[in-house]
Amino acid sequence: MTTVWAGLSVGAIYVLVALGYNIVFITAGTFNFANANLIMVGVFIAYWGLVQVGLPVFVVFLVAGAGVLLVAGAEERVAFRPVKHHDGHLVTSVGAATLITGVVQLIWGADALQVPFIAKNNPTSVLGGRVVPVELWLIGLALVGAFGLHALLRWTMVGLASLAASEDREAASLRGVNTRWLGLGGFALSGALAGVIGPFVGPKTFAFAGLAIALALKGFVAMAMGGFGSISGCVVGGFVTGLVEALTARWVGGTYEDLTVFALLLVILMVRPTGLLGERTERII
Amino acid sequence: MAAGLRGRRPPWALLPLALAGLTIAYPWMGGGPFWTRQIILIAVLALTVSGLNLSFGYAGELALGQVAMYAAGAYVSGYFAVHGHHELLFGVLAGAAGALVVGIASGVPGLRLGGWSLGMVSFFLVLLLPDILATFSKQTGGYTGLIGITPAHLFGHKLTPHGFYVATIVIAVVWLAVLRNLVSSRHGASFLVLRQSPVLAASLGIPVYRMKLTAYALGAIPAGIAGALFAYLNLFLDPATFAFDAAIAILAASVLGGSASVYGAVFGAIVMQLGPLRSTGFQHYALVVYGGFLVLSGILLSQGVAGIIRPLLGRLVPSSRTSTVAAPAAVADRAEPAPRVPGDVLEVQGVTKRFGGVVALDEVSLRAEPGKITALIGPNGSGKTTLLNIVSGFYGPSAGTIRLGGDDLHGRAPHAIARMGVARTFQTPLIPVSLTTAEVVATGRYRRVGVSMLSSVLRLPAYWRARREDGEEAARALARVGIPERRDQQAASLPLGTRRLVEVARALAGGPRVLLFDEVASGLDEGDLAHLSDIMRAIRDAGATIVLVEHNFGLVLDLADQIYVLVNGQLLTSGSPDEIAAHPAVLEQYLGVKRSAPEAGARGQPDGRTR
Repeated sequence: MTTVWAGLSVGAIYVLVALGYNIVFITAGTFNFANANLIMVGVFIAYWGLVQVGLPVFVVFLVAGAGVLLVAGAEERVAFRPVKHHDGHLVTSVGAATLITGVVQLIWGADALQVPFIAKNNPTSVLGGRVVPVELWLIGLALVGAFGLHALLRWTMVGLASLAASEDREAASLRGVNTRWLGLGGFALSGALAGVIGPFVGPKTFAFAGLAIALALKGFVAMAMGGFGSISGCVVGGFVTGLVEALTARWVGGTYEDLTVFALLLVILMVRPTGLLGERTERII
Repeated sequence: MAAGLRGRRPPWALLPLALAGLTIAYPWMGGGPFWTRQIILIAVLALTVSGLNLSFGYAGELALGQVAMYAAGAYVSGYFAVHGHHELLFGVLAGAAGALVVGIASGVPGLRLGGWSLGMVSFFLVLLLPDILATFSKQTGGYTGLIGITPAHLFGHKLTPHGFYVATIVIAVVWLAVLRNLVSSRHGASFLVLRQSPVLAASLGIPVYRMKLTAYALGAIPAGIAGALFAYLNLFLDPATFAFDAAIAILAASVLGGSASVYGAVFGAIVMQLGPLRSTGFQHYALVVYGGFLVLSGILLSQGVAGIIRPLLGRLVPSSRTSTVAAPAAVADRAEPAPRVPGDVLEVQGVTKRFGGVVALDEVSLRAEPGKITALIGPNGSGKTTLLNIVSGFYGPSAGTIRLGGDDLHGRAPHAIARMGVARTFQTPLIPVSLTTAEVVATGRYRRVGVSMLSSVLRLPAYWRARREDGEEAARALARVGIPERRDQQAASLPLGTRRLVEVARALAGGPRVLLFDEVASGLDEGDLAHLSDIMRAIRDAGATIVLVEHNFGLVLDLADQIYVLVNGQLLTSGSPDEIAAHPAVLEQYLGVKRSAPEAGARGQPDGRTR
């Protein structure tokens, strides 16, 4: 059960990464490769606020949320907005991700830094498995975040407009949806989310510049498994990915956990490329 | 290459070869070991980058894991070298084969979804590399690296440093020549079509998935060769060489030189090798610089540096690029009678299409005959384009049959249907960028006449014959639509009316058994429209089967021999233009002319898009 808790909590991080991907995918119609890098910035801001300066906890959340929101907004304006063709986003978003990692490395160095949890973090026993509070927090956050996003999409005008835009941007803008603001808003929201979860992700993963690559790939596996644009899909995909990883590490060996996740990705793409809960839209032309 | 000299080849076309010769001679011109090593490293990087250019620049699939192919080549040949197989050519082939296996294994699933999935799958390989090396630590040396690689031998003799240098440059030059021959052939044009639009590629008979996989897997080969050469150069393999930074450096070099180019890879490799990669002080800022550069270049030049240089170069030295088609021997401009376009009967029977709960087409039947223009009209959303997409194979029908002549089209892939003789145009013309009009029109022939990649690379007679015929056929088709003078212009930058004519010419070039024109008149002015009408009549009179999907009621009445009216996915009626023009239900549905009061207002909005 300890392994299950570990898997679910790592999986929760993947769910959060995939949620960020999906927010941008739905609102801006593109894939933000740098999303995991935004979470990494949130983790480093948490380290800076909690360890380096010793700010009060709520200020840390505020700074992390606002700070990463700004980074994400800047990314949209600089690296996405000016590029007309979506193919160009492939290069610019990889560039943005590299740039963010480079800056983080310049400021904080390449070594892994331990981020303390904002509350007591003593291991407890839940359902027969050892678990630390931050892990439970992460699982809760992933579920709350997914539900919140789902509610936002279904029950608010902005959310419905986003769904409309993700179906057909042109038609949505003809109906009065400002798709440009929607895109910027989507990036900002994914940035704020990435920042706010930083103080929770950090204690689990450490703060280090290589964090983003692993998160980006596993988050992608989560999204591919669940289906692009599907919120419930990325919850399932993220938790399954985390569990597979933790169980492999426990029963097979640490060197095989990424290999197994990779094999999982290949199987999904071969057997069900639209993901477990995704649907293929047939209209092409 | 030798056969290429037959044409009117300007002397500067041999510049790359001359430069290659100079590079090979460098050690005998006083080049020391430091610079020969740098040049070998440039060649190694250029090889790796050229593979990425093939998959990303030409086929449009971003392979972030090119460095993993490079590593595969290095470790495979390194492993053999450690175990006493130190023949250079064997190592290079083994390295290429190793990379090819990795390329196919990651490409087959990675290409199932478009866009990012291949990039992520191949990027995942970079993350996995340390684990894989650790798993096979006995063979690869694990985290500490692979030691004990013996220097390369060539045909049993140990290579001197100079010998190895020459061998490396020759191998790089041979590969670049192979690549150049490939991309300047119709296969290169096919890649560019694919990059522009997979839908267009399929409608021209290009099997999309297989072509993408081919580009990606071929792109792995030079990376594997590069890895092998690097193993023999360094005689030690450090896993840290093949990390994330290297992946980004390769991408940066590709973008720097222009991804859709051959020699751009060399340019990018020179800059990267002599600049960032050599200086140790730079390492601190490497990621910031690469990242900033990628963002900037992505914004400024969606085509890379070559995208800026080539038009400039084109102005200075005309046709700096080898054309995929030969210039015709002045056959086209003569007023010879236009050849026949023998069509076949297209028969659609009881076709139904459901999208979830929506019935887009309900039991629709129509028949288009050779030598006739069959028009399909109806308001927006009535199912016209859906029907066209079903005939082309982009959608599978929920029920019904589609036959062309004696052949059943039902259930076949779009590219297979295109190869059976179904040619089409698009509502918004799909014209690949950076191809001339003649080259674009010639792509219409690919479905009918195939040339193997090997013939193109080795420039075998089949290649030359196809190239000549492509040029002649393109010229004929362009003459037929009245724009022979546009032959050598960039097709994508032509005005809309002319681009539509280019699409018609492209559809004609493949000897179509049926022509599907999708809203071919929209956006055209009166003059263009009249011209287009004349051309369509002429094509019809040459025996073609034409299916015209149109909004323009006046044009359809004027042009069509048989008209089918679709409303809400159902066939309302069909008949001659006179019958349709007098049909009360059509007038109500389509023109908003009300009949008697009791029936009026029973159904939707009149369509306002008629003249």
